[in-house]
Amino acid sequence: MAQNQRRTTVIDFVGEEIVRIIAPVSICMVLVVFLVSILNTSTNSSSSASISSVATTAYSETSSDSFWDKFVGALLNSLAFVALVTVATFVLVLLFYLRCTRFLKLYMGFSSFVVLGFLGGEISLLFIEDFSIPIDCITFFLALFNFAVVGVLAVFMSKMAIAVTQGYLILIGMLVAYWFTMLPEWTTWVLLVAMALYDLAAVLLPVGPLRLLVELAISRDEEIPALVYEARPVNHDQVDPRGDVTQRRRVENSILPSDSNPSVNSVLGETQNSGSSSNLDTMNAINRDLVSNTSDGIHEVSNLDRENPDLNSDPSTSDRNLVRAEEGRVLETDSELSEPLIGHELNVQVHREEDAVAGQSLTPEGIGLGSSGGIKLGLGDFIFYSVLVGRAVMYDYMAVYACYLATIGGLGITLMLLALYQRALPALPVSIMLGVSFYFLTRFLLESFVLQCSLNLLMF
Amino acid sequence: MEASQSDNPNFNPNPTPIGNSLSSSVPLWPTIDGPLGLSEEDALSYARKFYKFGFALLPLLWAVNCFYFWPVLRHAHSFPRIRRYVVASAVGFSVFAALLCSWALTFAIGGERLFGPVWNELVMYNLADRLGLTGWS
Repeated sequence: MAQNQRRTTVIDFVGEEIVRIIAPVSICMVLVVFLVSILNTSTNSSSSASISSVATTAYSETSSDSFWDKFVGALLNSLAFVALVTVATFVLVLLFYLRCTRFLKLYMGFSSFVVLGFLGGEISLLFIEDFSIPIDCITFFLALFNFAVVGVLAVFMSKMAIAVTQGYLILIGMLVAYWFTMLPEWTTWVLLVAMALYDLAAVLLPVGPLRLLVELAISRDEEIPALVYEARPVNHDQVDPRGDVTQRRRVENSILPSDSNPSVNSVLGETQNSGSSSNLDTMNAINRDLVSNTSDGIHEVSNLDRENPDLNSDPSTSDRNLVRAEEGRVLETDSELSEPLIGHELNVQVHREEDAVAGQSLTPEGIGLGSSGGIKLGLGDFIFYSVLVGRAVMYDYMAVYACYLATIGGLGITLMLLALYQRALPALPVSIMLGVSFYFLTRFLLESFVLQCSLNLLMF
Repeated sequence: MEASQSDNPNFNPNPTPIGNSLSSSVPLWPTIDGPLGLSEEDALSYARKFYKFGFALLPLLWAVNCFYFWPVLRHAHSFPRIRRYVVASAVGFSVFAALLCSWALTFAIGGERLFGPVWNELVMYNLADRLGLTGWS
């Protein structure tokens, strides 16, 4: 019998937050799996369109090379790519330091347009050719133009419908990930591992560019202009009578470490704020909105703290929680909270006969806590997770399931670490390492096992 | 489980959202995002901008406008200033979509029989081959 008056517990909030970030990652991966499986069945994968980009400059793989040659070649390719990404990220840090935010935002819009327009156009042309869809060029170009322009507006403007913005970010991640799966095989795997290591270094080392970027953003209380997916904050207030909510919040606050970085909200979210904004120009307007919208919410919390001191018998913890609420209030009324985000620039090279412009998109990697309490995940993470799963599809579906579970498990671990450490964390390393090891284990061990068991009618 | 029901007999299992507490015909927030979206003043400027930019051959922008301000569209007497632009966007999108769909279907179904050799010039996959648009490298 259904219980519709069950009190919501902390698991519902935490679960809802986690689901709201895992769902889009899964959707992106599923879309890339569809694309790769549909578009690569008709053409032979080894002779299919191989892209030329920075990641293939050092060595272009042929199937006749030896193991060692391929490995060294892939290593050189990956090093070239990671070097380029490092340089690009340092340039980004420099520009952010010099407050060229308008230029950065224009660049972000331009790269989104390139990805959506050109990459999206080429992939839809592949579809049209494969299935011989009799669409005419007028309709096609009009639809593509619409799609690209609305997409640029969605990621550029801070106040577009949240669903539209999130959908377009997922599509951008899908398109770039599909493009990456067209790299040669060895290069892709070594590149994934190299990017995971780079992410680890760039975010955690004190000299890493992403850490510098995050610290700059925090010290200036600005938001990094970059392509970031932000999940909707979970709405706490309207679910239960007020007393339960504040009590839960107090319990949650006391679990967190008391010396937490004051610029970070708790994972479990606080008041309702306006949605994601990666638009520095409207930052001040949003600040004013935030002040009016959230000061009420925070006043509510602190008022209720004062009104119900007996719910928490220990006076020191209630004081500490009051202090935390005060901290939160001071920070939020001062400025838009700069969540610890990691900016990481991804180099997207689109080569066409008539267009040799390299589109660079600001796709940060890493996971952080949004100012509104919703979890933020950089688009680079979406892309590399999907690349991993897309590559697995090129081998077998069993590998896809294994890599999907590994990636999602890694993301869950990263979210737990995020709740534990309350600072910007790289989202790539755990998932990529798990995913890559699961892929190779599946390919070399699991498959033969399952196959032999099935053939001998033992299991499966 | 049963005890939780008798705990608080006044507990409303389905609390209505704040916006609809007075009457269900007047939404509080003009956007589909509710409290996370725009306030009414900002909403007016956004609706107007979306409507005007849609004339640059961007029917999808009109559709996004209707989607974004869905509460305005649904409740007939709310936010009169915003409603003008949203209804105009909806009308514009329907007209444009009807025209485009009819053209696309005529092109696809009619084919060469209807258009003659011009069809082969206009169809996308031939054009892509001719211009070499799908060459990646």
